Amino acid sequence: MRRAQRYYPIIPVLVAYAMLLGYGLLFPGKWQLVAQLAFYCTLGQAFNLFMGMTGYVDFGYVAFIGIGTYGMAISIYYLYDKGLGLFIVVIGFILAAIFSTLLSLAVGAVALRLRGAYFAIATIGVNEGFRYLIEGARIWNGADGIIFSLHLKKAVGRETMMVLSTFWADVLVFTVAIAAAVLTLVFMRNKVGYALMALRMDEDAAKVMGINVTKYKIIAFITSATLAGLLGAAAWALKLTYIYPVDAFAIHYTVEAIIIVLLGGAGTLMGPIVGGLIYGVAKYFLAIVLPGFQLLIFAPIIITIIVIFPEGTVGILKKRVMGTALQKYII
Amino acid sequence: MIFEQLAGNLVQGLVLGAVYGMATMGLSLIFGVLQIVNVGHGAFIMVGAFTALMMFQALGIPPVIALPAALILGMLLGMVIYYAAVKPLVSPSGSGIRKPSGRDAGIAVAIFISLMVVMRFLSGYYKLHTAFSIFVGLLFLYGLLLYVYGGRRQEKAAELATLLVTFAFGVILEEFVKQLFTSEARGYNWDIGKLDIGITVLPYTKLLAALGSVSIAVILYLWFNKTRAGMAMRSVVEDSVGARVCGVNVDWQYALSFSLGIGLTVTSGVLLTMFIPVGINPYMGGPYTLKAFVIAVLGGLASPYGAFFGGLVFGLIENGSYTLFAVIPGVEPFALTRFFSFLILLVILLIRPTGLLRAK
Repeated sequence: MRRAQRYYPIIPVLVAYAMLLGYGLLFPGKWQLVAQLAFYCTLGQAFNLFMGMTGYVDFGYVAFIGIGTYGMAISIYYLYDKGLGLFIVVIGFILAAIFSTLLSLAVGAVALRLRGAYFAIATIGVNEGFRYLIEGARIWNGADGIIFSLHLKKAVGRETMMVLSTFWADVLVFTVAIAAAVLTLVFMRNKVGYALMALRMDEDAAKVMGINVTKYKIIAFITSATLAGLLGAAAWALKLTYIYPVDAFAIHYTVEAIIIVLLGGAGTLMGPIVGGLIYGVAKYFLAIVLPGFQLLIFAPIIITIIVIFPEGTVGILKKRVMGTALQKYII
Repeated sequence: MIFEQLAGNLVQGLVLGAVYGMATMGLSLIFGVLQIVNVGHGAFIMVGAFTALMMFQALGIPPVIALPAALILGMLLGMVIYYAAVKPLVSPSGSGIRKPSGRDAGIAVAIFISLMVVMRFLSGYYKLHTAFSIFVGLLFLYGLLLYVYGGRRQEKAAELATLLVTFAFGVILEEFVKQLFTSEARGYNWDIGKLDIGITVLPYTKLLAALGSVSIAVILYLWFNKTRAGMAMRSVVEDSVGARVCGVNVDWQYALSFSLGIGLTVTSGVLLTMFIPVGINPYMGGPYTLKAFVIAVLGGLASPYGAFFGGLVFGLIENGSYTLFAVIPGVEPFALTRFFSFLILLVILLIRPTGLLRAK
């Protein structure tokens, strides 16, 4: 009984995603918005797995989304005429996961040895560095990108492709979101989470107590990066069916991930959903009312949260429900 | 042929490196004194570039004369940012939540009304977007919240917080400048002749920029080592508790060094436009942030002089590698050079994070 209780906090998460999905299914006109919101929630959920749990900021996070997108693109671009049908999408996801895992291993091997400021410095160049590698050495068509909508059409047929990119891609994004949430909770409730909590509080003390901090940092880093790769494959590759290095490695998305996680509350389970919904809805309406001004409005909000409310929305809520019946649902 | 080209490019690299070094001193100064990495570094360089551009285009003032103006602008900007957002993080007061009195509320309303009047007045002259009013309103709200909740924090915030705050200020500056000047790339043309030294041709503006960088570095060196004010700042780096005991106002030294660091960065933006007077746009800072990190790490993150020598080395590496990559067929040397500088960063961080040069 007590064991099951420890996983109760997943209930509100699942309810939230189910409500979001249900809203999209009931009002087909709003599906675009729902897809956008799901993307932001997933981005936050995956980013939070590393930043929220370790307290390290990875400024090069978007590189993992970009490389995941390339994984899917390559699978479709090079295997479309092999008669694999829908199976190339599966291969695409596998490739996306492998690529992002490998990149995160390479980045993590260097960056995770470093702490605090040095870590941030090492990661801030990852997306730029990787983009320039692809452009400079002309890997995968270099700066010209990969446009694979025709290849996808030939591989799976016109009808399937339409449904795939307008409906199933978004459902897959939801799946990634739920996977990220479940993994976050499992980590939190197991040794990984406790080790990371100790690390977040005081890295030296954690080391002295015999915790292999590097190992747990790498676990969180790779998990987070792999989820980002899958997100890229589902939300960018399948939906847009083209990829350019300039878009795929734009630091802009890292900024969004940071905003979402901080809005909701770093290191909480519900935080990314709350943050993603607030950010997504606010951005949706700002784009209508004040196009082009979103970042000018959001940047002061980030500063306000960091300086004055570092716990974020869910962090504050968590304090409020402490000692009530809701306590075991919100972490 | 290739060697001649390489030699020419290396001379160019050395001149550019002096400017790069100067552009990184602010970053190292801030890290050395406050242990804060200014992630928005490039945005401040961009502010300097726009200062030079505007001074030149609107007023016809040559960039050399714009240097002091940029320094003052940068120091003011640094002061504002320090007191608004950095100080609550690095030296929290911990006095608890403040209950606003009637007088406080009165002052808040007065400030709000005067802000509205100013905005209304300004919008009579310039076409101001509604978003600017919202932006100003948000800043006002921030001040209000900082006043009420500012003392709630009891302990020093994690490094994460200072990284994100400087990052957010960089984003604000970029977006603000984008709204003022649009995101198109601009440039100006200040031609005062060229110097031909056989292997390459150096315009006098470039030489002047390098000369300006070197002299600023020398002035800074003398200031740190020969004046009381400079030594007070160094004492905070050596031992902040000891400095406090000896009667140094550590808090003011923090504020001063943050603002000086930003001031130097903005000034270096002016020098950079003398070197590369084109491509001035709100997002030009991004590559410079990365370059500044590589340079700072080359010279030891906490040392401004190390940063200067790191800049010279980086200028040579960048131009040298560009020339060599250009020989390889089928690649884009420009992009590869950028990748190469990132690779250098990773390697140095891996083998010797304290810096290769370790200049004191």
